[in-house]
Amino acid sequence: MEQIIDPIALYTICGLGAAGIALALPRREQDGARTLTIVGGLLLAASFGLAALLLGLKAGDSGEALPNFFFYPFAAIGLGAALRMITHNRPVYSALYFIMTIIASCGMYLLLSAEFMAFALVIIYAGAILITYLFVIMLATQAPTGEQDEMLDEVDAVAREPYLASAIGFVLVGLLTAAMFRGIGDLPAPGNGMTQAQAQNQVLENLPKKIDKELARQDLLPEGWRVMRDHETGKAVIDVDARTITLELIDGKDSHGDPNIVATRVLTSEEWPESLSANNLDRLGYNLLNDHPMMIEIAGIILLMAMLGATVLARKHVELEEDLKAAQARKLGTMFEPNEGGRA
Amino acid sequence: MIESLFQIIEPAQLAFPEEMGGSVLAPYLFVSTAMFAIGLIGFLTRKNMIIMFLCTELMFQAAGLALIAFGRHHLGSDGQTFVIFVLCVAAAEAAMALALVVLLFRHRETLSASAWKELNG
Repeated sequence: MEQIIDPIALYTICGLGAAGIALALPRREQDGARTLTIVGGLLLAASFGLAALLLGLKAGDSGEALPNFFFYPFAAIGLGAALRMITHNRPVYSALYFIMTIIASCGMYLLLSAEFMAFALVIIYAGAILITYLFVIMLATQAPTGEQDEMLDEVDAVAREPYLASAIGFVLVGLLTAAMFRGIGDLPAPGNGMTQAQAQNQVLENLPKKIDKELARQDLLPEGWRVMRDHETGKAVIDVDARTITLELIDGKDSHGDPNIVATRVLTSEEWPESLSANNLDRLGYNLLNDHPMMIEIAGIILLMAMLGATVLARKHVELEEDLKAAQARKLGTMFEPNEGGRA
Repeated sequence: MIESLFQIIEPAQLAFPEEMGGSVLAPYLFVSTAMFAIGLIGFLTRKNMIIMFLCTELMFQAAGLALIAFGRHHLGSDGQTFVIFVLCVAAAEAAMALALVVLLFRHRETLSASAWKELNG
């Protein structure tokens, strides 16, 4: 099996990256630290740049497609911010760099046409989770102001075993990429053999109400008409490949309680509205609710348990004397029952 | 000249229903792996407990990127569905981890993980 990157080049890249990250990790030496960080960052950038170049050359040789041009800045920003996040010696800056990584990966999600997840990531990760982290960082640390690096807590200023950890990390990168790049040629053809239109609109026939709404918006649906439903499955009768939609005219119900179909007609492919297609949100929502309904329940339980656990863990014990407690209870009692309290 | 350059850099990643071959998938997987490794190295080297948990979030992020890239390759939505699950787990983990960090900070008045090194099971 042909490799996407030559193994020797891959291990060189990993070695460079490991050396770079080991140099860039925070250390105590006062004067050399900043220079070392810059040198390490440059080494790491060189290794990733080399990887991008080799991947590009390989794809160029075999005439295969390359990722969109915007992939490269997003990847560079994402990896650079991730690197700065683990090497910065102030926690608040680390958290802010992590937000930058998140936003760069949102860009990559957009390139991978996962639009909903990209924006959900900005809202949930950058907007909610990271702000919680920032709150805790600001509550739990007293950061020195200005450039007083020597005042920094020993916790943040010194890395533990930087060389060993970098070696382990980049051995992992080497092994994983070698394994993945060797196997990528053996992957089944993209799209599971579906045609493009099938992949795009496989979902569409399961959403008859969406089709009704879209046709009505385009004034293609006269009064009483709707998309024909299959009697057994309830799916809409449409043909995505031929771009035809079958409509039915309903008039009350017959003796079995089924809709009484008076007339049918077929919308031809010229009449197929351009805006009628399953977008990312339709496909994702259908997949989530139809194929993985249990996941929502499990996620709900996990979140509930986490909320309970966090409340129990972070609760502060307040020690009160017995008579103080009784006084509090009396005060609360008068607060909530003002009339009776006033009479007593 | 400029136009030919654009033809070189633009060819992949057209509208969604286009297929995405292995040569487009590979760079995404490389970025995902490198991001995961950076998160792992950060988790191993940093002593600040908050940064350690941030590094686990970075590893979640790398896994999410790989899931989405593979989902795009197969033209399915399963990858994105599982990224939603990863987000839920990340949110739950953040809540628990931060509560734990606050609790440990109250006991020792430091965020250093080595303050708790007697906890060796």
